[in-house]
Amino acid sequence: MHELNDVARKALIQLLLAVADDKLMLGHRNADWTGLAPILEEDIAFSSLAQDELAHASALYQFVADLTHSQADRLAFGRKPGEYRCAQIVELSDDFNWATALCRSFFCDHFEALRLERLARSSYTPIAQLAARLLAEEQVHVQHVDSWMHRLGRGDDDANHRMQEALDGLAPLAPMLFEPTESQELLEREMIYPQSEPAMFDRWSQNLLEVARDAGLTLSLQRPTAKIIGGRRGVHGPAFPAALDEMTEVYRVEPEAAW
Amino acid sequence: MVSQETVLEALRTVNDPEMPINIVDLGIVDAVRIEPGADASGSRVVVEILPTFVGCPALPWIENDVRKRLGAMPGVTEIDVHFRFDPPWTVDRISPAGRESLREFGVTVPQRRDHCEPETQTPQCPFCGSSQVHLESSFGPTRCRMIYYCESCRNPFEHLKRIPVPVLFD
Repeated sequence: MHELNDVARKALIQLLLAVADDKLMLGHRNADWTGLAPILEEDIAFSSLAQDELAHASALYQFVADLTHSQADRLAFGRKPGEYRCAQIVELSDDFNWATALCRSFFCDHFEALRLERLARSSYTPIAQLAARLLAEEQVHVQHVDSWMHRLGRGDDDANHRMQEALDGLAPLAPMLFEPTESQELLEREMIYPQSEPAMFDRWSQNLLEVARDAGLTLSLQRPTAKIIGGRRGVHGPAFPAALDEMTEVYRVEPEAAW
Repeated sequence: MVSQETVLEALRTVNDPEMPINIVDLGIVDAVRIEPGADASGSRVVVEILPTFVGCPALPWIENDVRKRLGAMPGVTEIDVHFRFDPPWTVDRISPAGRESLREFGVTVPQRRDHCEPETQTPQCPFCGSSQVHLESSFGPTRCRMIYYCESCRNPFEHLKRIPVPVLFD
């Protein structure tokens, strides 16, 4: 399928903004670790991961910009807070707690890989092709974070304790990643965003539980309630305005500047 | 006279900005089309490029160099550079000559392989040829490279990443 009707186009834009906004915020947060990660290899890794996320976000903003005759930079940095579609878990600062940064990536990267897998099977070929490529890169993130869950979860008592604490702190927020964007059910019906089998939440929680168990950590995840009005509908957490402010500081100086 | 061959020849003088390899040997030039230009006197050249990584920061440089190089060819009046992800670029698209120039630079490339084969080969040190190497970090100076360490000559070296293309079930 190469043509979208107006309703489907609008719904797809909302979904892709959610993907891009999650990635933009996560990339922004991960970039905080450049120069500060606990070991040199992770400094390089987190910087590369952040660069991946920002590059993915940029490709998705460009995709949306082409659908809306807008500009990628304006979509990334020039919207009002209520027009962003990211989930609360990516908005939070990790307060330079390495365990929190890893656990946040753990929830988000597994979610992202499954979301991209669904998009990679889209009936709308242009997004399927981009998503397949993004998915290939995202799988590297999943492997990376899983290996750290093992390494620290099975580390000494202090490491295990810190990981468990971070996991417990984020677990209540994580299922909100699944809040549907506007008219998402239409995209699912038309196979533009096909459902996975088994359902995405079940696959996600199963994957996470398996890794956590192997890592000697406990995790319990609540299935998201039907009606959450949160980040996917533009209602953000208390950390968001400051994060957005910081992220858009340079852009706001000269919005039309070419980079 | 503008032809596929002369365009490819010109593109062989466009290098990746971060490694000494031209974009044809790197395998990112997937197609070149020559079409009649808007005014009949010249040709429109369409170049289809497969990015190695999504949003690779080298892409604007490459596009700029391609435009400059082709724009200098007599008979070329329009240039279109398209980036696309289908088919996906893989390290197997790098030509033997490209592999050699990367090795001389100190960057190794995973061995060519069939889609289904698992990755078993560790690279050989580009400086001394030793197989006594270990992976130091899955991440490196750019998103497409990782770092190995040679235990024989004690040099670190870079290895291009093979990003497995996902097999989607239906």
